[in-house]
Amino acid sequence: MRTRRFAWEWLITLILGFGLGLAYAWVFSPVKYVDAEPLALRDNFKDHFRSAIAAAFASNGDLERARARLTLLGDPNPAQALAAQAQRMLAAGEAFEAVQQVAMLASTLQGGVVVNPPTAIPTDRQEPAGQSSAPSISTTEASSPTIQAEPTGTPIPLLTPTLRPTHTPTPTLGAPYQLVGQDTVCDPELAEGLLQIVVINATRRQIPGAEIILTWSSGEEHIFTGLKPELGHGYADYLMAPDVTYSIRMADGGTPASGISPPTCTTTDDSTYLGGIRITFQQP
Amino acid sequence: MPRWLPTLIALALGITLGLVYGWVINPVQYTDVTPDALRIDYRTDYVLMVAEAYRAEQDPALAARRLAVLGSEPPAVIAGEAESFARQAGYPSDDLSLIQELSVALQTWQPIPGTSLP
Repeated sequence: MRTRRFAWEWLITLILGFGLGLAYAWVFSPVKYVDAEPLALRDNFKDHFRSAIAAAFASNGDLERARARLTLLGDPNPAQALAAQAQRMLAAGEAFEAVQQVAMLASTLQGGVVVNPPTAIPTDRQEPAGQSSAPSISTTEASSPTIQAEPTGTPIPLLTPTLRPTHTPTPTLGAPYQLVGQDTVCDPELAEGLLQIVVINATRRQIPGAEIILTWSSGEEHIFTGLKPELGHGYADYLMAPDVTYSIRMADGGTPASGISPPTCTTTDDSTYLGGIRITFQQP
Repeated sequence: MPRWLPTLIALALGITLGLVYGWVINPVQYTDVTPDALRIDYRTDYVLMVAEAYRAEQDPALAARRLAVLGSEPPAVIAGEAESFARQAGYPSDDLSLIQELSVALQTWQPIPGTSLP
């Protein structure tokens, strides 16, 4: 009996001590981390970091250096992270030059073309009867990584400097776009009245950041390609309202698509629904 | 053996185990770090990015806003610290001159009253 009681005392005291030690280690004196790496940054600071990388890239055109810097953030797909950030920046109404820098770096990483900066978004536009389906951000990003304490006193590794390019790429002047495709899409799986627009260049590569202007009798809307990178970097979409006729054109000029309205489609059981339209613009 | 000695030993052992667990095995993990906790070489590289952008943009106010992410110190001080580290770490002369250019620009730059840094 004496031995059993003695063991309980030991155990309770041990647990109490463990709790005290843990409280001290976690609450009163937790491990302090001072030499953090960029991948541990809070998401909004990662955005600042990406913006700075994009601004530096816009200045020096050093893609390898930009790529090395993006690696520090630990994004599984840096181009997609940049495109998603551009979308967030647009939604937040940030300066378009900054958005363009981020979009341009995303595009360059994808091996896309450098597009000319779209014109400013009008501030007095009238809200359309329909709505853009763009604002949903479905890009998956890495969850915030955790960090471990590092031994101190070790040599600090520096980024390997890369050679500067001999020239800085400048945006190419855009040629007027041609309407090369306009198809009715009857797919009950898609949202009703979905207008899908794809913008490609002369070599049929999709162009991100291209501005498209939709007008109708009582309003106007500007949308941009590349905000849904999972659907293509030259892709943009918009939900058309029924009984509204739209005219669609590229902000840089070219052939417009006129008289666009959602078609009526029929299912196999003879019920009807609003179909969609798929339009393709191409730089000649 | 005194009666209190086993209790004291158990308490000390428990505290030790708790500390080992809390500091070594499963320490508090920081995932949402602010840039002021960045290691000095990463801070310096961030300043270099801002300096690279500054060379093309020549906008000290924009550069100052970007540097404000690194902490509450004046932008010129942040750039100066980065310059010191870059010099000490043997950064390429091109990069050094970029940071120097930014540092000099920020030393003479005066923020417009009424504007705030992020």
